[in-house]
Amino acid sequence: MELNLTEEQVLMRDSATRFIEAAGPKVARGFRGSDPGFQPARLREAADLGWLGILVPEAAGGLGLGLTELALMLEQSGRGLVCEPVGFAAIAAFALSAGPKPHPMLESVLMGKALVVPALHESAFGDPLVPNTQAKGQDAAWRLTGAKAFVCADGADGFLVSADASGRTALFHVARDASGVALTATETVDGRRLWTLRLVDTPAEIVPPHPSSRSAVEALHDLALFSLSAELLGVMEKAQEITLDYLRTRKQFGRAIGSFQAIQHQSANIFVRIEATRSLVFQIAVNNDAASLDPAMAIAAKAKASEDAIAVTQNCIQLHGGIGFTDEHDIGLYLKRAMLLSSQFGNATAQRQRYVAIVGLSA
Amino acid sequence: MFRHDTPTESAFRTEVRVWLEANLPVSLRGRTTRPPPDELMPWYHALSRKGWIAPHWPKAHGGMGATLNEQIIMTEELARVGAPQLPAQGLNHLGPLLMEFGTDAQKARHLPPIISGSVIWAQGYSEPGAGSDLASLTTSATLEGDHFVVRGHKIWTTWAHHADWMFALVRTDPQAQPRHAGISFLLFDLRSPGVTIRPIKTIAGDDEFAEVFLDDVVVPAENLVGVLNDGWRVANALLTYERLGTSNPQYLLMALERIRTMARASGIIASPAFQDRLAATMINVTALSAVFSHAVDLINNRRNPGPQMSMVKIFATELLQQLNDLLVEAAGGHAPQVQPVATELGEVDVSTPFLQSRRVTIYGGSSEIQRNILARRVLDLPN
Repeated sequence: MELNLTEEQVLMRDSATRFIEAAGPKVARGFRGSDPGFQPARLREAADLGWLGILVPEAAGGLGLGLTELALMLEQSGRGLVCEPVGFAAIAAFALSAGPKPHPMLESVLMGKALVVPALHESAFGDPLVPNTQAKGQDAAWRLTGAKAFVCADGADGFLVSADASGRTALFHVARDASGVALTATETVDGRRLWTLRLVDTPAEIVPPHPSSRSAVEALHDLALFSLSAELLGVMEKAQEITLDYLRTRKQFGRAIGSFQAIQHQSANIFVRIEATRSLVFQIAVNNDAASLDPAMAIAAKAKASEDAIAVTQNCIQLHGGIGFTDEHDIGLYLKRAMLLSSQFGNATAQRQRYVAIVGLSA
Repeated sequence: MFRHDTPTESAFRTEVRVWLEANLPVSLRGRTTRPPPDELMPWYHALSRKGWIAPHWPKAHGGMGATLNEQIIMTEELARVGAPQLPAQGLNHLGPLLMEFGTDAQKARHLPPIISGSVIWAQGYSEPGAGSDLASLTTSATLEGDHFVVRGHKIWTTWAHHADWMFALVRTDPQAQPRHAGISFLLFDLRSPGVTIRPIKTIAGDDEFAEVFLDDVVVPAENLVGVLNDGWRVANALLTYERLGTSNPQYLLMALERIRTMARASGIIASPAFQDRLAATMINVTALSAVFSHAVDLINNRRNPGPQMSMVKIFATELLQQLNDLLVEAAGGHAPQVQPVATELGEVDVSTPFLQSRRVTIYGGSSEIQRNILARRVLDLPN
C-alpha cells in the first residue's frame, strides 16, 4: 500500500531515487574484491544531500528529520544495492550528536570525509547489550580491550564500540589508527567484507547518550535494527520488480509464464510478505523517535524483514528458473545482499530470542 | 498499538469501556461460538438503546456517525471485554449498501429495523454450484408484472435459520455475457411461501450456516436494489470495508492471550522451541497491526487501497489460523477435547476456535481467490 507522506517526504524519496540511478547491480558488481568495497566520492555525495545528518539536529549541522525520512532513504539504498554504508554512517552521526556537546568527529562525518561505523556485536547469538569488551579509565581517558565481530569496517576511520565499564555498558569512539587496533577481514557472498576488530589497551572516548535514550549502546543498536530493516525492504521490493517483469515477458508453453496460476500465487505470497514488512517499518517510523525507539518494535522489524527478505529473494530466483541461478543474472545479487543484511545485528532467530526476553514471554 | 488516541478519542474509549463493563452480561463474555438469538438479541437491543449499535452509520439513519478511529476504538473495546459477535449482515453489509444504492422507500422501510434489531438479515450469495466462481450463480428471478418469481438454492448463509429477511444475488438475465452482467440484487422476506431453510452443522459443532431453498418465491419488484442486472457492482462496492473488518488485530490479540494462558498452564511456555514459534507469531501480529493501521490511515485520507486489501485479508486470516495451530500445540493432550480445558488460570476453549478458524480463509473470497486478485489487479500479471 502506498505511504501517506508529506510533500517534503516525497521530495526526499525522489532525491534518493535519483541517487540510486547511478548505483544498481552493475556498480555493485564492480566493487567485488576492491578496497574499500564502495566509492568514497559517492559517500560524500550522500553527505552533500544531507543524508548522513538526516537524524542529527539542525543545530548540530544535520537535517533534524525522523525515522520516516531515514527509512525512505534506506529503502531506496536497498533497492539500488548501494554499497556505500549510508545507513551506518547516518546512525553513527546521530550517536555522535547525542551528547551535551557534539563529538569532534561529527563535522567530518557529516561531510562524508570521515566514516564512523558501529561495532557492537561480539558473536552470532550473544546479547549485544552485554559486551565482553572491557573498558578501563574515567572521564576523557579510557582504554578498551576486547574483540568485535561482523564489523562493516571497509573505509572506516572510526568505530562506535560497546564495552563494559565496571558493570555498566557504555559506548566509545575508537579511531582506526589508534594504538592496539587490529582488523582482519572475511569475504562475504555480497562482495562486501566484514571485519573482526581487535582492541588491546586501545585509547577511546566515551560517547554519551541522548537525554531521552535509555543508553547510548541500546539507542544505536535499535536504530541499526531499524535501518537494516528498511534497507532489506528495498532489496525485496526491487527483487520483486525485476521478477514481475520477467514473468510478464518470459514465454513457455506458448504463454507468458506469469499467466500460470502457480506462478501468480507465488507472486502474491511475495507481495504479502513485502507489504507486511513495509507497513511495519513505516508504522514504527511514524510512532517512534530516533533516540527512544521501542526495542520490541526494532526487534520485530528486524526479525520480520530478515526472514521475509531471505524468503522473497529465494523465491525470486525460483521464479526465474535456471537463469536466476547464474552469476551473470542480477537477481542473485539481491539474495546475497539479503543474506548480508539479514545476518547483521542478529538474524531472525537471534531477534526472536531477544524478543522472548524483552516481552517477558516465558513468564 | 500503532495508533495513539487523541485526548477526545481517549475520553471516548474510557466512556465505552466503563459502559461495556457495566452492561455486558458476564455470561456473554469470551464466548467462542455465537450465542443463540434468545441470549444474544437482548444485548443487541441494549447497544441499540444506548445508540452504539451502528458506530459507522450516519446519524441521519440512526447511527453514531463515528469517525473511523472511533469505530476502531469501539471494536477494540468490544474485543477487550470479550463481547459476542452480533449478527452483522444488516449492520455491516445491507445497511451501507442501501444507503448508497437503495431508494428512499427502501431506506425508510429497512434501515430502522436493522438499528433496533427487530429484523435479522442473512446474506444469500453462495450456491452449491457457485462458490469461488460466484458469477456462475443460477438462482433465477423472473420478472412477472409487479413481482419477481425466485427459484434456486443458496448455501453457507450465515444465521439464515434465525434471520427474518435475506439480501441475495439472483440471475435476471440467463444469456448475459460476461455472466456477472446478468445478476441483480434482491431483498426478500424469509417468511414468504416457498422458502425452506435447513441449518448446516459445521466441523466446529455449531450451526452458523444454513442453506436456503427457494421454490417459486414471490418477491415484489420494489425489492430490487439498484438497477436490474447491476447487482454485481452493488454487491462489490463495499468490499474494502468488509476486508478491513476481517483483519481487525484485536481478534488476533485475543487469540494470543488464549495461547499464552494455555501455554503457561500446560508448562510448554518454558520450551525455547515453543517460545521461538510464539515470538514469530507475535511479531506477525505486530506486523498485522501495522498493516491495519496503515490501511485505516489511507482510508481516513480518502485513498482507498482497493484490490490491495486482498493482501490484508490473506495476511490476517492465515495468521489467525497460525495462532490457532499454536493454541492446539500449547494444549498438548488436552487439544482434542470438546469442552474448554479447565486450568488453574481459568478455562480455555481450544478445539472450538481452532476448528472455527478453518472458515476464515474460505469465506468472503477464499485465500486462493484473493491471490488471483492480487496477481491480476495489483501485480499486473497477464491472464
